Amino acid sequence: MNKKCLAAATIAAMVAAVPTVCYAEDTEVNVIAAEYGQNTAEWWSNFVEDFNKDNPGIKLNVEVVSWNDIYTVVNTRIQGNNAPDILNIDVFADYQADGLLLPAQDYVSEETYAKMYPSFLEQSIVDDVVWAVPDLASARALYYNVDILEAAGVKPPTTWEELTAACEAIKAYDDSIYPWGIDMTTDEGQAAFAYYTWNNGGGFVDENGEWALNSAENVEAIEYAVNLVNSGYTNSDPANDTRYDLQDMFGAGQVAMVIAPNSLPTYIAEGGHEVNYAVASIPCNKGESVSAGVMDRFMCFDNGYSDEELAAITTFFDYFYEDARYSEWVLMEGFLPATMAGGEAVAAADESMAAWVDIVGSSKFYPTAKAEWADVKQGVIDAEQRALLGEDVKTLLDELQADIAG
Amino acid sequence: MKKKKIMKTVTPYLWLLPSILLMLIFILFPIFEVFRTSLSEVSRAGIIKGFTGLDNFAKVIKGPTFGLVLKNTVVWTIVVVGLSTLIGFALAMVLNNEFRGRKIARAIVVFPWATSLIIQAGVWKFIIDSDYGTLNTLFMKLGLISKPMNWTPTPGAYFAWECWVGIFVTIPFVTFCVLSGLQSIDAAYYESATVDGAGFWDKLLHITLPLVRSSLTVSTVLNIIYVFNSFPIIWTITKGDPANRTDTLVTYLYKQAFYKGRTGEAAAISVIGFLILCICASVYMVLSLRKEEQDA
Amino acid sequence: MRKSKEKMYIKSARTPKEKIFRVLLYATVILLVLVTLYPYFVMFTTALKSRAEIYSMKGTLLPIDWEWENFADIWKLAPLGRYFINSIVVSGGATAIAIICGIPAAYALSRMKFKGKKFFLGLVIVSQMFAPVVLLVGIYKIMSMLHLTDTLLALVFINAAFNQAFAIWLLRGTFMSISPEMEQAATIDGCNQLQAMIKVLLPVAAPGIVTALIFVFINAWNEYTVALTLISSDILKPLTVGITVFNGYNMIEWQYLFASSLFATIPVVALFICIEKHLVGGLTSGGVKG
Repeated sequence: MNKKCLAAATIAAMVAAVPTVCYAEDTEVNVIAAEYGQNTAEWWSNFVEDFNKDNPGIKLNVEVVSWNDIYTVVNTRIQGNNAPDILNIDVFADYQADGLLLPAQDYVSEETYAKMYPSFLEQSIVDDVVWAVPDLASARALYYNVDILEAAGVKPPTTWEELTAACEAIKAYDDSIYPWGIDMTTDEGQAAFAYYTWNNGGGFVDENGEWALNSAENVEAIEYAVNLVNSGYTNSDPANDTRYDLQDMFGAGQVAMVIAPNSLPTYIAEGGHEVNYAVASIPCNKGESVSAGVMDRFMCFDNGYSDEELAAITTFFDYFYEDARYSEWVLMEGFLPATMAGGEAVAAADESMAAWVDIVGSSKFYPTAKAEWADVKQGVIDAEQRALLGEDVKTLLDELQADIAG
Repeated sequence: MKKKKIMKTVTPYLWLLPSILLMLIFILFPIFEVFRTSLSEVSRAGIIKGFTGLDNFAKVIKGPTFGLVLKNTVVWTIVVVGLSTLIGFALAMVLNNEFRGRKIARAIVVFPWATSLIIQAGVWKFIIDSDYGTLNTLFMKLGLISKPMNWTPTPGAYFAWECWVGIFVTIPFVTFCVLSGLQSIDAAYYESATVDGAGFWDKLLHITLPLVRSSLTVSTVLNIIYVFNSFPIIWTITKGDPANRTDTLVTYLYKQAFYKGRTGEAAAISVIGFLILCICASVYMVLSLRKEEQDA
Repeated sequence: MRKSKEKMYIKSARTPKEKIFRVLLYATVILLVLVTLYPYFVMFTTALKSRAEIYSMKGTLLPIDWEWENFADIWKLAPLGRYFINSIVVSGGATAIAIICGIPAAYALSRMKFKGKKFFLGLVIVSQMFAPVVLLVGIYKIMSMLHLTDTLLALVFINAAFNQAFAIWLLRGTFMSISPEMEQAATIDGCNQLQAMIKVLLPVAAPGIVTALIFVFINAWNEYTVALTLISSDILKPLTVGITVFNGYNMIEWQYLFASSLFATIPVVALFICIEKHLVGGLTSGGVKG
């Protein structure tokens, strides 16, 4: 019996394993896209269907990969000499440094190129050339639980002093609630670094764009954040509580205030949470409040294209950035648009998004165009986690700066 | 006559051929690639730029956290393999008895093995979480504790939980290796031993252990290797955080390769791990193969 | 034979000592079953909760609203049926190949004398000494050379290869514990070596073969990293990779992840129950080497 089963399975394996038939005369375009959320895969599969219908002669393949695994998948493919044609991901500098990418203007039509916010395109410049185009953005702000803050008798904090005082008041009101949420995980600990240093006049780089990780402002900012944790004002395990945990705990009323992306409302609603919340600027210590922007990109690998292939890629981008389709893409998972027309469409469709479109226009971005970014990102996370374990912040940041810039 | 002799020399290799081919193509070639990468300068995107000798190894060994990670790996391997072998063996002895519901019990014991490690680890992460974890809920409903406990106050506590999950998922493997060995033991041995007045421990030491030794050897050697190289449990629960305190070599090299873009160093780490395993496994194997020959 | 085996620990549970033994035995088994099932209880109840309830500050053991539709929703959100078939094909194919290649190798290693035997046994172990994550790039390269990327056949071969070590070592151990006399007798009766192995040795070695079979099947069923990198078409993904759709950038849908994982556990347990009797089957008398 078993043998029969196995034999059947083997035969089935052989049959199913035959590669999917492809049409030799069609120009193939292979895309790897990041999975933003529950709707991404379905959106892309509809996109592919429409695209292939509207563009005879081109065969578009889109592979949607979970955000957890995308670096593994992409790097393995590149090393196996099988880079995708188009990649949708957050970083590009490493690929550019190896000469794997084509300049954006080689494959994006002028018309489409002109649609994008110039400030977004600037984020992808290395050696005066734009190497990638933005597909969407998100921005961060402070979300607070209105009921808890009212009950504790505090207003949403705008400065660090107010924040500390608010935490104290909430703690006094109900000590089973975490007043403040902090995420210093390997997932996204660099965001915490940005929230505190940017709002203290510091940051990853100085005004000349050189790494300045150990500035006095940064040391003060990280010490302040770690101090919040040590005073018991935050979730108990910032090195392991990811943004998902924090957002759900915020939804459950366990965390009173949290810095989160503009997609939080969608997240809360889809999760079935019932929480009375509002938005405010991220509290800041020096200067004006800075929002952290995150931007993802499309890039095109240089796989030695023929003219037809390059034209097919251009068609892909024209199709993707068509205004109606593009605003659908952005709204799908509650992100912010990277094109002006998209911005108008999104603002018209949803009033609450209009404010966000403004915020993202003025927010700071990670210095992802710098070659050392991957090391810096892991480095600041490591420094944060060590600081949580009791090591000295100044020493840690000095070491990191020496390691990166020295 | 001569032809027959040649046939006799060649036959064993023919029997081995399918297996050799399979491993040669699909495993030894990738292993060769790892060695090559470990001796090469590799760009962040993973493109090999040229030969660098032992530079990658030097960088790895000089890294400030390498010692910590190595220590974690050794502790992790010894604790998980040691305890799961002990418990798994005991369990096999229990399950080898006849009792009502044995079939169901045996099926249930496979459960942890039947679920992928990522999911198992995910569930346990979910169970021990101090904020919404179900262990707190369970203990509070049972009246064992009155308010939520923080089960993971320190990195050490996290590591202990990871070891527990490792043990939990490894037990079924050991149990079934031993059980299959126990099946081939002739009950007559026990009967005659009982007649001779042997007690439970005598029988265990002098009959059971020697007879299941071959299956236990296999399961232990392979377990050492699998556990040493185990990735999903630690990755899912802590990703080696905070600050490498719960990293083992594999999670550490994964971060080097895919988070920091240091493919060459990652390959060097895996070669170091390989050398350590080689030494341990060959000592163990030489000893057990020699014993086997003596017995035969 | 079976009867006498029972007696090896419990002759007849009459004496006080025997009774205590029985009680302890049952207590151990019950404790064990409870601990083992606890994560599954958590998975099951979580799968039936809404995300709001999962994270609620007032933790609940059982769901307040039993959201059975979660189990239905997963089928709409992802082509689980397709993933399921892919997993069956990969695991079944890998098991078949691993066993078919493993048996002759183990036979040669246990019954024949030849040069390089120890070397080969060592090599088999060495093949296991790198974590699959490390080998990904090499595996990907060899598969593109063979034009096998994005095929289930690639996964079949990889899983078969990775499980050769265990299959060979375990089968070799099993074969060695069985006396070669019966096969020798069969050869005298006119069987060749292959026939003797198939007709005489394999039936006796069933428990070992079944163990190897379960082992390979389970490992292949749960393999994740290689499938993740080799397979790019959605319709070719096995279950382990397919269900990561519930683990997105914006959220982890624990309830869906657990619901689909429970579903993925069923075939393995079913397979195990089906062939467990062979595992217990034991040996016919006389086959055991003294």
